[in-house]
Amino acid sequence: MILRSLRSRWICASILWTAGLLLIMHMLSILLIRALPSLRGVHSVGAVFAGLLMMIAGFIFARRGLAAFSPLRQRLAAVRKREASLVEGLYPTEVQPLVDELNALLAEREKAVERAQRTAADLAHELKTPLALLMQEAERLTAGNPQLSDNITRQVERMTQHVNYHLARARAAASGSRGAGPSPLAERAAALLRTMSKLHAEKGLTLVQSIPPSLLVRVQQEDLDEMLGNLLDNACKWACGRVSLSAERVASTVEIVIEDDGPGIAPDLRARVLGRGVRADQSKPGSGLGLAIVRDLAELYGGAIHLSDSPLGGLKVRLLTPGA
Amino acid sequence: MRVLIVEDEASLARQLWASFSEAGYAVDTAPGGQQADLLVHSETYDAILLDLGLPGVDGLTLLRRWRRSGIATPVLILTARGSWHEKVEGIDGGADDYVAKPFRVEEVLARIRALIRRTAGIVQSELRCGALSLDTSAARVTLDGAVVKLTSHEYRVLAYLMHHRRRVVSRTELTEHIYAQDFDRDSNTVEVFIARLRRKLGAEFIQTVRGLGYRIAGEDI
Repeated sequence: MILRSLRSRWICASILWTAGLLLIMHMLSILLIRALPSLRGVHSVGAVFAGLLMMIAGFIFARRGLAAFSPLRQRLAAVRKREASLVEGLYPTEVQPLVDELNALLAEREKAVERAQRTAADLAHELKTPLALLMQEAERLTAGNPQLSDNITRQVERMTQHVNYHLARARAAASGSRGAGPSPLAERAAALLRTMSKLHAEKGLTLVQSIPPSLLVRVQQEDLDEMLGNLLDNACKWACGRVSLSAERVASTVEIVIEDDGPGIAPDLRARVLGRGVRADQSKPGSGLGLAIVRDLAELYGGAIHLSDSPLGGLKVRLLTPGA
Repeated sequence: MRVLIVEDEASLARQLWASFSEAGYAVDTAPGGQQADLLVHSETYDAILLDLGLPGVDGLTLLRRWRRSGIATPVLILTARGSWHEKVEGIDGGADDYVAKPFRVEEVLARIRALIRRTAGIVQSELRCGALSLDTSAARVTLDGAVVKLTSHEYRVLAYLMHHRRRVVSRTELTEHIYAQDFDRDSNTVEVFIARLRRKLGAEFIQTVRGLGYRIAGEDI
């Protein structure tokens, strides 16, 4: 029978060892008594006590030897949960080489993921210039053949949406393999609101932010920007005059709430707009995959997104992300 | 109105040049960072379209340098980099607007128009002066509701004066904003365009302020 647990192997070995030792000791004491009959009947409490102490010490050593595995397990779990990028700490001589190999493997994998992500980004960027040219050519066709022009434009837009969607996913997957450093939420939100106020300057919106400055989220900064950017851009596109952004910590998660005073989304459409490629209204330009990207990114980090009605009159988006 | 297009992809630059010229702008193009830097320091533009992935100097580095040296010309970034993180970087680097490739020229034209208007402190897209009205989105001028046919240079002179109607515009300033860099300026002077505009619109709309330049008469915009 093969013993799978290290602990049982250890115990089994110690029992066999002790039994062998006892057998030899028994033989030796028989010989000793035969040689020196005067020793018969002598008892030593001290010897029994010393023997007990030695057994306890042995037991403690054995336990401590195995105890190294418990922190190793915790640190591995931290790597998996993206709280650390490498397995840290010093381990017994037999375990340390394994840990070193594991760390080398993790570093190599991270490099490979980074390379793949860079390739994806390069591909996406290189695709966009020809797509831009194609779009321009299509626009020039408008006068001669408006239907063809419209068809080409729509297909180019679809291709762009897919490129953007998969690029965001590739980046998120790559940052998922590294440790997701804590990002300062209030600072990123302020940067994005600055951007929104420029991009939607024509609408003259009032953008309100109320986020405690100390709030941190365990999300890579690029991914946090992508989620907040898509949600705020949507809100600004639809709002009549007001967009509000707030956040608070609820237990281990951070709840980010984005609201606008636009027309909102009908309840039966809400589940659908979170799916890929669905746009609630085709009349506004923009990627139909915007909300889908946010949902995917949120889920990648173990978060979620919920849509409901806002007291402002429009849509209320609740984005749940892990706090740090 | 005069714009600079900084774009390294030649065919895209050509198409943008054609679309902007058609819309009534004087257009210069620069295929790389160095050329753009030279032009921005030697010429005067009303708006700049800036690609980020340029050979030589990166567009964002260029923009930050311009802003540090006090060049406040409105800049619209036109780039393949479309993530929100990159948009934030662009805006914080000093850009006034950001459009990701691929784009509709119509949208870029509308955004540049709005940018120029906002810089001049004007809210609506149609500029009025009594019976005279200039629709920037259609590049069309009407007098008492009837369309007035103008050449592209005449249109640029009138558009520039109407965008800056609260002040007197000097002849040099007008010259800087209506010609593309490679245009032969001597044969078509500002005076000639002003005279032709007065003939077409009536003498009362454009006043000459002796020794200083020109201004549009009247109060309402």
